[in-house]
Amino acid sequence: MPPFKDDQIIIIAPGSETTVAQLGLPESFTPARVRVRSRMFPAEKEGEYEPYKIRRKQDKHGATTSEPKDGAQEEKKSNEDEDEEIVWEEDRVSEEGAIWPIQEGRIVDWPCFFALITHVYNTLNPVFHTAILLVTQPAWTPREHEKLTQFFFEKFKTPAFGLMDAALATSWAYGVHTATIVDVGKDKADVTAVSAFIPHTQGRVISLSGCGGEAFTQGLLSKLKSKGLNRDMCEQLKRSPICEILPVGVPVPGSGESPEHTTISNPAAAASTGALASGPAAAAAIGNAPRGPGVDTEVGEDAGIDESEGVLDVASIVAGGKMTEYLAKKEREKQDKANAKKKGAPAPEANKPVRLPNSRREKATFLYEDHALLDNLKNMNLNTQDMADAKSALDEGPSRRQHENGENGELNPANEAKGIGSIRRDIEVGNERFMAGSNGTLEKIADAVHRTISAVDEVAQRSELWDSLIICGNGSKLRGFKEALLQSIQSKYLISPSSATMFTSEIPSNISTPAGTGANTPQPQLGPHGGSQVNPLLLAATTAQTPHLMPHGGNHLMPGMSHNTHSSHGQTPTSIKFVKPPEYFPEWKDVGFDESAFLGAQVAAKVIFVVDQGQSKGYMTRPDYNDQGPQGIHDYSL
Amino acid sequence: MNIPNSSTAPAAGEYAGDEVSAIVLDPGYSTVRAGFAGEDVPKSVCPSFYGLTDEGKYLFGENAIHAPVGNVNIKNYWGSDGIVEDWDTATKLWEYAITSRLTGARPGDPAKNGLNDGADANGDAMDMDIDAIENNEKPLEDSPLLVTEPGWNSAKAREKYIEIAMEDWGTPAFFLQKTGVLAAFASGKASGIIIDVGASHTSVTPVLDGMVLRKGVQKSPLAGNFVSSQIRQTFKQATPEIPLTPHYLVQSKTQVDAGAPAQATYKSFSSNPPTDSFRLNEEDRILTEFKESVVEVWPGPGRFTNGTNEELAKNMPGRPFEMPDGWNQVFGPERFRAAEGLFDASAALTSETNPRPKDEQTIPRLVQAAVQQVDADQRPMLLSNIVVTGGSTLLYKFNERLNYEINNIYPSTRNKLIAPGSVVERKYAAWIGGSILASLGSFHQLWISKKEYEEHGAGIVEKRCR
Repeated sequence: MPPFKDDQIIIIAPGSETTVAQLGLPESFTPARVRVRSRMFPAEKEGEYEPYKIRRKQDKHGATTSEPKDGAQEEKKSNEDEDEEIVWEEDRVSEEGAIWPIQEGRIVDWPCFFALITHVYNTLNPVFHTAILLVTQPAWTPREHEKLTQFFFEKFKTPAFGLMDAALATSWAYGVHTATIVDVGKDKADVTAVSAFIPHTQGRVISLSGCGGEAFTQGLLSKLKSKGLNRDMCEQLKRSPICEILPVGVPVPGSGESPEHTTISNPAAAASTGALASGPAAAAAIGNAPRGPGVDTEVGEDAGIDESEGVLDVASIVAGGKMTEYLAKKEREKQDKANAKKKGAPAPEANKPVRLPNSRREKATFLYEDHALLDNLKNMNLNTQDMADAKSALDEGPSRRQHENGENGELNPANEAKGIGSIRRDIEVGNERFMAGSNGTLEKIADAVHRTISAVDEVAQRSELWDSLIICGNGSKLRGFKEALLQSIQSKYLISPSSATMFTSEIPSNISTPAGTGANTPQPQLGPHGGSQVNPLLLAATTAQTPHLMPHGGNHLMPGMSHNTHSSHGQTPTSIKFVKPPEYFPEWKDVGFDESAFLGAQVAAKVIFVVDQGQSKGYMTRPDYNDQGPQGIHDYSL
Repeated sequence: MNIPNSSTAPAAGEYAGDEVSAIVLDPGYSTVRAGFAGEDVPKSVCPSFYGLTDEGKYLFGENAIHAPVGNVNIKNYWGSDGIVEDWDTATKLWEYAITSRLTGARPGDPAKNGLNDGADANGDAMDMDIDAIENNEKPLEDSPLLVTEPGWNSAKAREKYIEIAMEDWGTPAFFLQKTGVLAAFASGKASGIIIDVGASHTSVTPVLDGMVLRKGVQKSPLAGNFVSSQIRQTFKQATPEIPLTPHYLVQSKTQVDAGAPAQATYKSFSSNPPTDSFRLNEEDRILTEFKESVVEVWPGPGRFTNGTNEELAKNMPGRPFEMPDGWNQVFGPERFRAAEGLFDASAALTSETNPRPKDEQTIPRLVQAAVQQVDADQRPMLLSNIVVTGGSTLLYKFNERLNYEINNIYPSTRNKLIAPGSVVERKYAAWIGGSILASLGSFHQLWISKKEYEEHGAGIVEKRCR
């Protein structure tokens, strides 16, 4: 009988932005059931943490505790002693003052990290006899592994514990033993070469900072800041389907023929050309969706509201106490819009090109959920009715709620309730939305891949690594990113067949007549075009003969084909390919394999806890821990 | 079922708390290797090159030194004589190599506990400001440390090592060992001649029963960097000159015919171009690739320049190489030239800045000089244990040539080359030897403890680490 059943296994994969976890392995592996944002809030008491922001609230009526506020997302918790009029409110949406214990893949705040793990563990609420598999980030050091081991055994009294490297887990998920894994996270990217299920620790690019999803947000921000968008808006723009990285050669709409890469030297120019090309009014209108034909009504009015700044930054208007004015203005706009429609004025321009593919449209709109505004409203201590009124007045996107939730739900199913109470507005952006990657992020990652593979000591393994590229991580979700990265790598590093050797014979002239064994017969796939596949039989045969003289995987019989048994080039890569994602995980197929490390951990958990049962030391048991202490974990990790 | 008491917590001190894993540090000119004793490869391999910004900020690690930004000078802390020159930086860099991949930063370190950096969106934050860490706990307070040193290290430098370990890092125990001895240990030998061809220096060290014969230690600057400079000269002297354009300057390349000028789109760094030293370091990456895929050592018999050997080489199929900008060519006999200078000083390419190397600097002459210093009756034993190590010995056909040269000098003895098959073992032999040594039970008697250091001062290293 196996020591652990399928439903007695916990998998936790912490990340800089999101920590995913699951209790039990289903029959068919599904994406993680529990997703929490990797952040905690400091509690009242020093050194303690809460999973949600606790807001201190002065309650005027005292009776509102029972009143549901606005949907399910806010639970009011009144203090036990009712005479004091302080009410603590758990705010599940706000992230003000949060501490993010993992930064760029490294654990920077251990007490907070442990609190986060404890929160995840309690959320799963496992039975006592439950094994834990933790997916580790490459940036964690062996000493930190020991620390984690100690924590898990002593805090949760787990009967068995295992660690698994995230890159290795990804290769398990794809079912390939050799791969180059590019894991694009929030602030960083890790590039790992894995050969025969063993990650190359030397030369591994760990936590390449400024190369994650955040870099794209910043890239958008740098382009759109002048248009009045803030970071939060750019973040949501990045996640919306209208933001994508166009392949090289596809012109950015509205900017003539310049592809995105050429704009690196002069981002402002491209941004401005986009604005210029879109007509005189548009320059001012970008990002200001609710305007419509009623533009002129705004001009010359509303001295109280700074037009250029304030329209987007509603949050500060509200905070500044000018909400009533703003609402009045909006009301007028709506009126104007309605009037315009009645008059039979042409429909707003934005509605027409909707049917064009995104990459051809000059401008597009996305729905923005204004959390900052919500925070401000809450801080103003409005009573419930006012709050609801304000919300409905400011909210512009009820009709599209479903659609937008589908988008967000994919990223944050745990916060399902998130969209309901929030305030949404349409924001229109120009072709800046195609320039998320224009700050050199792609080149940086491409260089890291080249460095990682070049650092693999065995030259013979390199071409196989180039041929099995995996890009994963939630930072790589940006549309078009993977293709653009592959293109970027290919245009810079691919070695083309040399014209000088293209037409020479495949076999060097001084080779002896092939022996009857067939071992020396050139394989047909060894052609100069992309023929980097090393025949494994040939390699095995040659390496076995002369093990001590194999620095380059070469061979005495074939001096011309020495270095990596490739026909003409000793250099790599002669071809670069993606690994095909696995096909037998239907649930994963729907959401994509960006979190394939978690899938790999599921596969591994099944193997090491249930199938292997600890025979090959895939995990550490409680007695092992008692004998060897935290340092023993190094003998057990995968 | 092997979990009888799976829910009981261990009593305090129940687990093997006395077994502390030592850290082995093996600094070299090209990389610094660090890892835990008892493991078979160093977990941390970090470049010895570092970046120094104009503001005096240090940048360590691969990610930082390869980022093409302006105002960063790429430097190395080693002196030209193969002894550490810049001790302050060496200390910081070694500490980075250990803390970044092995021990992790200390908790409570205000610079990186996440409380102070808020929304720090600054891109290249790989650079750690080591200064900020200084007033905190010392980084190695619970790990003994074994450091390797070159065979020709000066007495002053040796004292410096222990001072860094004890004063700056607070290590509880320390030992210093020569790379030659450790490389021999890695091959399971206590005696032998160790030929170590590294990046900056080639050394030949006779080792007898685990002790270095100090007067026999030979070194010369003909090593990996010398081969690189030979390749540079090959490129320069070619007609037309072969352009050496590093990757970071190229946006994308187009395929061109062999020998045709490159037609790549280049990147422009108008406002803040990377420095010359950065470019030099990036060019070296290409030269490394060139060495891996093109350069070949003439395997013998005879020297490359002897008789008809050059004619022979011409008939061999050439080997193509493509530059980052797409320029490509097939290299024929000239690919043997680059490394020939290691064995034959007269064959080295020379220019005004690169004078002809001296004859006694070549590898065969070094071996000869080293063997000369050994008692005549020990020589056959040593010659049957010639350990070959160092990254530059991975040059294609290097061992064949070395074998030929040694048999040429000593035809009457039974000479045997011991060259580890796997690249990792060849590159990190000294570290692996250190890992073996530091994990031996008996080694605990050798350590210099903190107490002993406090009692006797830094001079103790001369007495204890021979």
